[in-house]
Amino acid sequence: MAHIYLDTLTGGLWKRIPPFRLVLGLCPALAVTMSAENGLGMGLATAFVVTLSNGAISALRNVIPSKVRIASYIVIIATLVSIVEIVMKAFFFPLSQQLGIYIPLIVVNCIVLGRAEGFAAKNPPLLSMIDGLSIGVGYALSLMLIGSVREIFGAGTWFGLPVFGESFEPMTFLVSAPGAFVTIGILLALQNLYSRMRGEKFIQG
Amino acid sequence: MSEITRMVVVLSLIAGVCSAALTSANYLLDPYVNKQTDYFVRGPALERLFGTPAEEVLGNKVVITDELGDVPVFFVKENDKVSRLAVEAIGRGGYGGDLVIMIGIDLVNDRLTGMETVSHSETPGLGARIEEPGFRRQWQGLPLNQPVAITADGGTIDAISGASTTSRAAASGTNVVLDFVRDNKDEILAEIAAL
Repeated sequence: MAHIYLDTLTGGLWKRIPPFRLVLGLCPALAVTMSAENGLGMGLATAFVVTLSNGAISALRNVIPSKVRIASYIVIIATLVSIVEIVMKAFFFPLSQQLGIYIPLIVVNCIVLGRAEGFAAKNPPLLSMIDGLSIGVGYALSLMLIGSVREIFGAGTWFGLPVFGESFEPMTFLVSAPGAFVTIGILLALQNLYSRMRGEKFIQG
Repeated sequence: MSEITRMVVVLSLIAGVCSAALTSANYLLDPYVNKQTDYFVRGPALERLFGTPAEEVLGNKVVITDELGDVPVFFVKENDKVSRLAVEAIGRGGYGGDLVIMIGIDLVNDRLTGMETVSHSETPGLGARIEEPGFRRQWQGLPLNQPVAITADGGTIDAISGASTTSRAAASGTNVVLDFVRDNKDEILAEIAAL
């Protein structure tokens, strides 16, 4: 029994890590990862929403009629996202200004609905919340990684602290939108290469 | 219970619980959101107008309600007398929408102390030059008893080249403040004294 929980808890960190393994939620991964801080903030906001929405949806999974399930999920997810937005405005105002429209857009992030439909609708609440937490933390780590790579090479800083000396000429290309595609592509390729060497299956649900 | 009623009831219940949760979150966190907005959005403008750190003046705030709606007024005191005000106003008719500006008023000398933009969505390089000190400096020392206008309208403000609309919006916002202060001066002072 404990085996399932442990398996779910670690699943999101490598086996199902979004957006590299579970190729969902690419839009925020491309759009807000200009810096490590933005990536981490976005990832944590998503983690919070996924965990709670998985819990709520799983608790209601026997009550919600299957014909209106998607509408019910969206109402629950939208509420949680709005609460996150208000909380961010109240306590992390500069971050919420930087992330801007991408916070409300967590509602349509496929990870949240994907985990609700694919996991929470079939599993008990505690397990679903563990799954949400693990996927969310995995997403936050990935976004922070993408953001770190782009910030370190594109701006020469990490979490706003200078990494290289004065003479470093930043690759501004990486901080712009096309740089996001290149960074994610390279990281995805490295991930695939590593998985292939270990003989793992590439994308697991 | 038939399937269709069940669907309606469940969906309505979920929606109801969700709106209750949202309303309470909004209601409970509203003071914090306002505080943060004051600090990060109005703070920099106030710092430049009053020349003191934002933390010191943000608490000095009264909200006056009149036909314009709720107008936030910040103040500083010298020798227990209110010496300067900063009044927020909307400059109607900017090129990218309305401007939110903050006008500084020196009550001792009856002069304007400056104009600061709080938020705007003007074109970068044209209207957005409203933020430049060179343009805003023109407000310093203008008298309170006559309306502000750009030179093309017979006033004294040199408009930003290529952005008369923005400049006009700033001037009209200033005039709103001048009228507001003239009409409500006693009320503002009474509110401040009551703090």
